[in-house]
Amino acid sequence: MKLCTLRATLPVRGRVFRTYAACRRLSSKSTLETVTGTQSGIAFDNSATISQTCSTTMSNLYDVVIVGGGISGLTLAAGLKSSPYTSNLKIALVESMSLASAKNWSPENDRYSNRVSSITPASRCYLSQIGVWDYVYAERVQPYDDMRVWDGVSGARIHFDAFHLGAEDASIAFMTENLNLQHALLSRLNDLPADPPVMVLDNTKVEGITEGPTFDDLDLSSWPSLKLSNGDIIMARLLVGADGVNSPVRSFANIKSRGWDYRQEGVVAVLDMEWDDRQRIAWQRFLPSGPIALLPMPDGKASLVWSTSPKHATHLKSLNGGAFCTLVNAAFRLGMVDLQYLMTRVDEEEITQEFEWRDGRLPIEAEGQQFPIRVVEVQEGSRASFPLKMRHCDTYVAPRIALVGDAAHTTHPLAGQGLNLGQGDVASLVRVIEQATQEGSDIGHEIVLQQYWAERYPINHMMLGVIDKLQKLYCTDFPPIVGIRTIGLEVVESLDWVKKIIMKQAAGA
Amino acid sequence: MRPRIPTILPSVRLLKRGYTYNAPSANYPGHVPTNIFQKLFLAAGSGIYSFFDPKRADLIATLGEATAVPFLMKRLRDQMLSDPTGRRILRDRPRITSASIRVDQLLSYPENTIGRTYAEWLKREGVSPDTRARVRYIDDEECAYVMQRYRECHDFYHAITGLPIIIEGEISLKMFEFANTLIPMTGIGAILAPLRLKPKQRERLRTIYFPWAIKNGATARPLINVYWEEILDCDVQEVRDELGIEKPPDLRELRKKRISRL
Ligand SMILES: Cc1cc2nc3c(=O)[nH]c(=O)nc-3n(C[C@H](O)[C@H](O)[C@H](O)COP(=O)(O)OP(=O)(O)OC[C@H]3O[C@@H](n4cnc5c(N)ncnc54)[C@H](O)[C@@H]3O)c2cc1C
Repeated sequence: MKLCTLRATLPVRGRVFRTYAACRRLSSKSTLETVTGTQSGIAFDNSATISQTCSTTMSNLYDVVIVGGGISGLTLAAGLKSSPYTSNLKIALVESMSLASAKNWSPENDRYSNRVSSITPASRCYLSQIGVWDYVYAERVQPYDDMRVWDGVSGARIHFDAFHLGAEDASIAFMTENLNLQHALLSRLNDLPADPPVMVLDNTKVEGITEGPTFDDLDLSSWPSLKLSNGDIIMARLLVGADGVNSPVRSFANIKSRGWDYRQEGVVAVLDMEWDDRQRIAWQRFLPSGPIALLPMPDGKASLVWSTSPKHATHLKSLNGGAFCTLVNAAFRLGMVDLQYLMTRVDEEEITQEFEWRDGRLPIEAEGQQFPIRVVEVQEGSRASFPLKMRHCDTYVAPRIALVGDAAHTTHPLAGQGLNLGQGDVASLVRVIEQATQEGSDIGHEIVLQQYWAERYPINHMMLGVIDKLQKLYCTDFPPIVGIRTIGLEVVESLDWVKKIIMKQAAGA
Repeated sequence: MRPRIPTILPSVRLLKRGYTYNAPSANYPGHVPTNIFQKLFLAAGSGIYSFFDPKRADLIATLGEATAVPFLMKRLRDQMLSDPTGRRILRDRPRITSASIRVDQLLSYPENTIGRTYAEWLKREGVSPDTRARVRYIDDEECAYVMQRYRECHDFYHAITGLPIIIEGEISLKMFEFANTLIPMTGIGAILAPLRLKPKQRERLRTIYFPWAIKNGATARPLINVYWEEILDCDVQEVRDELGIEKPPDLRELRKKRISRL
């Protein structure tokens, strides 16, 4: 572990200054009292006693410790380091998995990762602002400016066009492999001239979090203290949980997370389209078993997210590639009865024949207009599925603790918002920290952090609510509900100003 | 800019569609496109005439098509699409005619087979597979075939249930078919036709045949999914069991008993 000197990094102000001074006094003694870590916390070895010299304690103190090297965590690190007000903060980022593959990632010809997200204009704008977007491989980003969404039961459709967003050449969103973003974030962190650099500890798991120790004249008891899998203990003035849906930081802070599981899985895959039609269209059809979305990627590829029952997800993953592609085509084109029937079949030839027969009855003009052109191949090994849930925390903050991204909220992928909401969190938290450092307040103080929560909670709450209602509204074929949602959709479709509002919200404006 | 209000509500659009008659083109050979008012007119006319002259099969057929609500026809079609055999029928589009079914050959089949029972049925009642009219007024091409198929299979339903073609048998079978297919005309026939019967006959329908028809029609597997052409040599009772149909009491036997008692 690289040691950074504390002097250069901690702002010589307020509480930290006192801590620093106290510790310097302490460090003149040759030894320190031993400190016992017996506070409550997860997975903390109670019997162990930790003896540390103050100097090690000092080098293990951080202004900000970020748990989680996912997109939210890395964006926060890059955001803080890119701001003139916060670039001198001493920051550590702990990630349990290896980041080497993301760091060394470079686009592989004709192969795409199956974890792909749509990045909204607002997220992209923020990533540009903090200098990350320049590192993104542009040839692997696919903007789209047209979105066609329809009801599989009634056929009612809605069409979003980027011109509703106002600007001439606006895009609705940008499809990007998560790895492309992670790579860009890590490269940006690497190149940032920040002093001190962010201490990135990958392959390191946070094994337990407790309250910090108290020395004679140094009280760190309000500082969260993290026990890492490499044996180190680090303490944070502000601990940020960017550690995903099962956030250990959230458990430590005792923050309640509410919500439910959708009893659906999102089946993802990288697909080859019949030809590169250069259409920049995102397609989504709501089936009673869950929405299926096909998002454009460069090189005539597309990214699939098919939300469906766990049983169907298992079935879809077990089929051979040809049969799988046929079912994807069927899910966008055929009637619900045909699709249900095909889902019960396993023989590729039978599936193909049945599909061709039904598909042949569709009007040729609909091809590429009402539904996407055909999928012809699925990239080897790209099929996977993820359980879908909705979670929202009552609060995102506690003294010296903040949660961002999926740690604070998780949502259904039907609106492609999960990652983008996390970006919004990060931008807001960075602003709040910037302001606190400018004012000389303690960045870990709850009152400071409350501003972040107050700004983000209503926005996230509304988005999660809308997505949840949409999910429920469309997960049925009960005729009265289908009737109501069909009329609703047709009304929205005929009112441009309503569409405009919806698109602005979805774009993160 | 186009006026927006009329397109907001689907119901408004529907009305507009109903009012403007701009000679839609045929969806299949023999199709006569009609709008909703023309259908109502056809239904009323054919309904009244066939009520007074129930032997007019062509009028009953027209009544059947004019009242075939798309929703219910689609439901029946979907029942076929959910079943491997039903799908095969929709794909093959078999027609039952004297060319596709050789009645004289069927008469040489063993006594208990579907083919023999069907052929004897046709012979006894003096009808032929070709007496069935072509569907003209159903707009959806696939639903039109479903109606055609129902119509052509009707004699097989007689054969498998053993109900006679005399008016009471016909009415009971209509009720059975209604419970099984939900084709509106079958229900209309089953409700209205008894008005012309004698009280004794009505009584028998109400106490014996309608309960049988409703129970069996509703619990039996969809008869529309039976590929009759392929099971001509199967045992009637076996097929009945497989479909979940109990044999009804024989009307003629009942009648004979009543006469002998007098
Ligand atoms: C099928 C699917 C499709 C999606 N599509 C979209 C889309 O199109 N657009 C969009 O905006 N969003 C999308 N999302 C959501 C998006 O993927 C997530 O919201 C986003 O990845 C969350 O990022 P995060 O950094 O907050 O959390 P994560 O990516 O979950 O990162 C958490 C990190 O914390 C680490 N960690 C956890 N515990 C510890 C520990 N104890 N010690 C150290 N490290 C730890 C984990 O290893 C992980 O790397 C989709 C999600 C799914 C499932």
